[in-house]
Amino acid sequence: MAWITENRRTATVERRSEPYLTEEIKAGLTAKYFPRYPNKRAVLLPALHEIQHAYNWIPVQAMEEIAAFLEMSPAEVLDTATFYEEYWLRPKGQYLLQVCRSLSCEICDSRKLTDHLIKKLKIEEGESTADGRFTLVELECLGACGTAPVMLINDVLHENLTVETVDELIAKLPASANDYHDPAVTWDEGDGH
Amino acid sequence: MAFNEPVLTKRIDADPGKRKLHFYDDYVATGGYKSLRAALDMTAADIIKTVTDSGLRGRGGAGFSAGQKRSFIPREKKGLHYLAVNADESEPGTFKDRYLMDYDPHSLLEGVAITALATQVDVAYIFIRGEFHHEIKVTEQAVKEAYQKGIFGQGGIFGSKHKLECYVHMGAGAYICGEETGLLEALEGKRGWPRNKPPFPAIAGAFGRPTVINNVETLCCVPPIIERGPAWFKTMGTPSSPGPKLFGMSGHVNKPGVYEDELGITLDYAINKLSGGMKGGKHKGTICGGISMGVLGPEQLDIKLDFDDVRFRGGCLGLGTAGMIVMNEHTDMIRALRNCVRFYAHESCGQCTPCREGSAWMKKILDRILAGEGRARDLDMLLELEKSQGIMPGTTICGLADGTAWATRTFVNKYYEEFAAKCPEERPTQMGIKRGIRNVTTPMGSNTR
Ligand SMILES: Cc1cc2nc3c(=O)[nH]c(=O)nc-3n(C[C@H](O)[C@H](O)[C@H](O)COP(=O)(O)O)c2cc1C
Ligand code: SF4
Repeated sequence: MAWITENRRTATVERRSEPYLTEEIKAGLTAKYFPRYPNKRAVLLPALHEIQHAYNWIPVQAMEEIAAFLEMSPAEVLDTATFYEEYWLRPKGQYLLQVCRSLSCEICDSRKLTDHLIKKLKIEEGESTADGRFTLVELECLGACGTAPVMLINDVLHENLTVETVDELIAKLPASANDYHDPAVTWDEGDGH
Repeated sequence: MAFNEPVLTKRIDADPGKRKLHFYDDYVATGGYKSLRAALDMTAADIIKTVTDSGLRGRGGAGFSAGQKRSFIPREKKGLHYLAVNADESEPGTFKDRYLMDYDPHSLLEGVAITALATQVDVAYIFIRGEFHHEIKVTEQAVKEAYQKGIFGQGGIFGSKHKLECYVHMGAGAYICGEETGLLEALEGKRGWPRNKPPFPAIAGAFGRPTVINNVETLCCVPPIIERGPAWFKTMGTPSSPGPKLFGMSGHVNKPGVYEDELGITLDYAINKLSGGMKGGKHKGTICGGISMGVLGPEQLDIKLDFDDVRFRGGCLGLGTAGMIVMNEHTDMIRALRNCVRFYAHESCGQCTPCREGSAWMKKILDRILAGEGRARDLDMLLELEKSQGIMPGTTICGLADGTAWATRTFVNKYYEEFAAKCPEERPTQMGIKRGIRNVTTPMGSNTR
């Protein structure tokens, strides 16, 4: 629901003294993305992705810093950021569990997976566990209908799931999400070209 | 018309266990980039003519002639031209572009390079939805290889005078960015709000410049057309819908998956021959090409899956993406429609009132019916809302609302008895209103489940 608004007049912005958009991130964006587009604004989506990658969410202060960096107004950054569901404007757990709920998955019982996870993790859909390890959400079609029901755990897609396989997957997650990678990526990713 | 050998899936084994990702060396070893080399010796007009003659129609949903789309790009170049590859694949039931990118990313890149030659494109952006993490990594690696091998970059395509840059642009989770102008807005760093047309992207697209936008599968069809010619391409499919097509079979079938065959096979063939027959009961209905196209009913198994028959005899919006969701006799069609409508209520970008409000109201009405409080006039209301939203009645900017309309129209009309049974004539209106209103005044978006 990209068009839901929120009263921000009374919102307070938490700030810290060191920037989120570090010189290193800026240098990375400048080198990789500025040459790709004819203007700076087009770097906004990649910049938001970078911040989320570094901090697991996108604080307001970071959006202000991106605005200054890309020569836009903070309102324009907020306008774009609030539209896209992948951007977390509030903190989320280390592991984001996203269960597909669209038609193919629903008729293949995806609802059972969500209900099971709600019970197992003792949180509602949309919430995070108190220890900050898991966040559970349902989302629309993941484009893997042939192997329904499916779930994304961070960057990794899991297919043909059952309650049992979900339990196994969760039990096997590494202590730190930094050690959790797509096993099918066997090449050196580097940083593009 | 016959389909004798795999075309788009020639590098993808039918056995999932044997499938292998083809990077550059494997791609070239299996005949890859021959078409691009051949295209370098052709004029732009010749390439466009070949694609037009093949009759290739867009595989992203609308089925628009791919050759014609290229011919709209101004011949005389006054600045940069762009190509945007639509890999936003988010239409429920559709998972074919993922399949191509997973195993054969260079066939897409070859299609991109040939299309760029035809329309004098300087920069190609491959817009991949953000949830396709794996496909983004695969495509980025393939693009990197293509730079190293002299296809992309300022050295010119294989050392020729045509220079092409190619970048992957990652989306961020919004179905509407699959709509071509929503995609362009997202590329420019804005909300993915579809633009009013005209101007069309061929004249003023990305960054205000002429832009070709094509689906992944459409572009993957281009190298085989250049290699083997339009006449060969037309040996597959029907006269108005030629060529091979990926059919995404999901739901209640024994062997769900992506299958390649020619356009114009029957629904019966797709279910029983391609995907191993029905699972768990008899056929009740099949979403024929992503939920936006609507549903084919139980007696419509003889419908030919091409761009016309699904529409004219099948009573749906069209073939769409040929992503089929097959449902057996135990499926609750009210629930199924409610799932579809919730999708649109959730994904509407919110610019047009009939779409934003209409889909939210339709969802509330369906919720009420499912809660056992349906009234006969709920069905009238659903059909009235459905008729008043979309680019066809001319009330919205983009086609998302037409998807809501066609899903609702086909479900309610084809399963009218099932809906009517839950919406009795004699339910006291007073009670309905009292309870109904309480139901529907909950703040927008507070319940998206
Ligand atoms: C709401 C909406 C969503 C769409 N989503 C997609 C999509 O995910 N992928 C796609 O290729 N086309 C999508 N389309 C169709 C595109 O607007 C466009 O017609 C297509 O990318 C053109 O490519 P083609 O001519 O190769 O089919 C969508 C259209 C609408 C109205
Ligand atoms: S029809 Fe719906 S999705 Fe399309 S522009 Fe209008 S509000 Fe947005």
